[in-house]
Amino acid sequence: MRYGFFPGCTLESAAGELMISTKKVASALGIELIELDGWTCCGASHIQDVDEFLATSVNARNLALAEKLDAPLMTVCNTCTLMLRTTKKDLDEDPELKKKVNKGLRESGLEYKGTSEVTHLLWALIQDYGIENLKKLVKKPLTGLKVANFYGCHIVRPPQIMGFENHRNPRSMEMIAEALGAECVDFDQRLACCGFHAVFPAEKEVLKLTATNCISSKMAGADCMVTPCPLCQMQLDMYQPDAQKGYSADIEIPILHLPQLIGLALGYSPEELAINRHIVNAVPKLKESLGV
Amino acid sequence: MEKFIFRIHRYDGTTKWVQEYQFPYEENKTVLWALTKIKDEIDPTLNFTSACRHAICGSCGVRINGTSYLGCKTPLDEIIETFDSKMLTFEPLKNYDVIRDLVIDWKPKMKKLKLVKPWLIPTEEGSVEKGFKQTEQEFSKIASPTDCILCGVCTSECGQLNVNDGVYLDPFILNKAYRFALDSRDGSSNEHIQPVLDNELWKCIHCMQCVTNCPKGIPLTDQIAYLRKTTMKMGAKDNQGARHAYAFYDDVKKVGRLNEMMLPIKTDGMVKTIGKRVPMAARMVYKGKINPLHMPKKVNGIEGIRKIYKYAQEVSK
Repeated sequence: MRYGFFPGCTLESAAGELMISTKKVASALGIELIELDGWTCCGASHIQDVDEFLATSVNARNLALAEKLDAPLMTVCNTCTLMLRTTKKDLDEDPELKKKVNKGLRESGLEYKGTSEVTHLLWALIQDYGIENLKKLVKKPLTGLKVANFYGCHIVRPPQIMGFENHRNPRSMEMIAEALGAECVDFDQRLACCGFHAVFPAEKEVLKLTATNCISSKMAGADCMVTPCPLCQMQLDMYQPDAQKGYSADIEIPILHLPQLIGLALGYSPEELAINRHIVNAVPKLKESLGV
Repeated sequence: MEKFIFRIHRYDGTTKWVQEYQFPYEENKTVLWALTKIKDEIDPTLNFTSACRHAICGSCGVRINGTSYLGCKTPLDEIIETFDSKMLTFEPLKNYDVIRDLVIDWKPKMKKLKLVKPWLIPTEEGSVEKGFKQTEQEFSKIASPTDCILCGVCTSECGQLNVNDGVYLDPFILNKAYRFALDSRDGSSNEHIQPVLDNELWKCIHCMQCVTNCPKGIPLTDQIAYLRKTTMKMGAKDNQGARHAYAFYDDVKKVGRLNEMMLPIKTDGMVKTIGKRVPMAARMVYKGKINPLHMPKKVNGIEGIRKIYKYAQEVSK
């Protein structure tokens, strides 16, 4: 299995631990990730507010880089996935737009053809790798660990663009967590928004959302939350101390990236997966539940 | 015999309770069929609103298992398949005051709607004598937004309204502002758009719930992007939202990738960033989560990206 890897900006900065854990897990599973040479920011759901055509063109360029590798494009970020898939759908459905965008790409010797699919690690594990194959490699089953799967918006919505599974009741995260031996809890905020994209202009509201998301998963008995999106992870983890200030109830809960959860079951230590980098320390809970 | 079990959240004006109704399963029926059946055959005191049964009047919005649907348009079998159960919980739409049972109060929303002047402010070219003619192309711009039936599903699902004090405009109100701002017969689009900016336009959290659940398939999030772009064209660039969007726009042009270290400063300014974000930054450096000295280098092919920027500017002209 071979993918053109699109890390996204956060993996080079505040979510460096996701880069580390993704590479560890991919290599343990025998998945080849070839980082796209010269990839740019996907626009993060902001650039279209300034210039929609530019947002489409920049991502057409990213997609063309994957096409050059003759491989599907894989991300580990919900928003990157949505931005890239939005561009792909727009271009594939509108030949005029595709022509116009390609005119801009031609000067850099690139062309968008539409030959590379855009996927996310979560989907690739289920669709391409197979849950049964994943199960075979589990060395340390996560027995006793209760996880709250926080999907994040852009892995399921809007369904016309994402469409991997039923957006009102997805199962992919539960399928992976259960394959690893963890127990999944059901909680109200499972499909809620983390608020990350508006944390600057709507700080008060977004911190309230962070507290609600954390408390909801705690009340359901979770030991930790797990998310397939580094932006959700940053919002829920980095901003948790700020969100706590508004409430007397204890909201504290560790937040793991999906590849970190997988990595634990594959036998890596929390340190090897850079879990110790999170603001809310996950290690004591993991020790208590898993003895790692 | 297969049965439906509906648990309906009820309210009589003072007391709230959950009431259970059971009746035989029938295939190929709508949500509204079931509610009508309960009222007609089981309990006439159950209150809900409905009229046309054809997704035109917009009055039968309801929440089932936490998600909002237009009752007359939604097959029960689809819901059973989604939740893998014939036991369903019904609630009134969220982010509205509840009058009785599943009946919500539209009055405060209508008052809010008026903020964006949801009517034509005629151009000088049109007159009663000459009429207000529109080409097919001009009409096509407002064809989708005029599909809105004011069902309230977008409001109920809106992630910002769930946590907002009430100032933020409901997605259907943003749609109305967009619809009149784009109407070729309207001569004063700023009068529709300025109130949108003044009422927390930049607080949309990009949760995609409105566009996902709109029973009319209106591209509400594209409209929000358009409204934002237009406010910036009107000169409103000196606010957190606009500065944040431009931080991404400028960084990609400069190096290809986002400079996360500089993002708070670009969005909030140096003074506010030092005042507010130093403890967070310190926590992150301490944990090794960020390296404050990391500056993204120019990506391979940055010249090509700048050419794309130049080209996009020509295209948008």
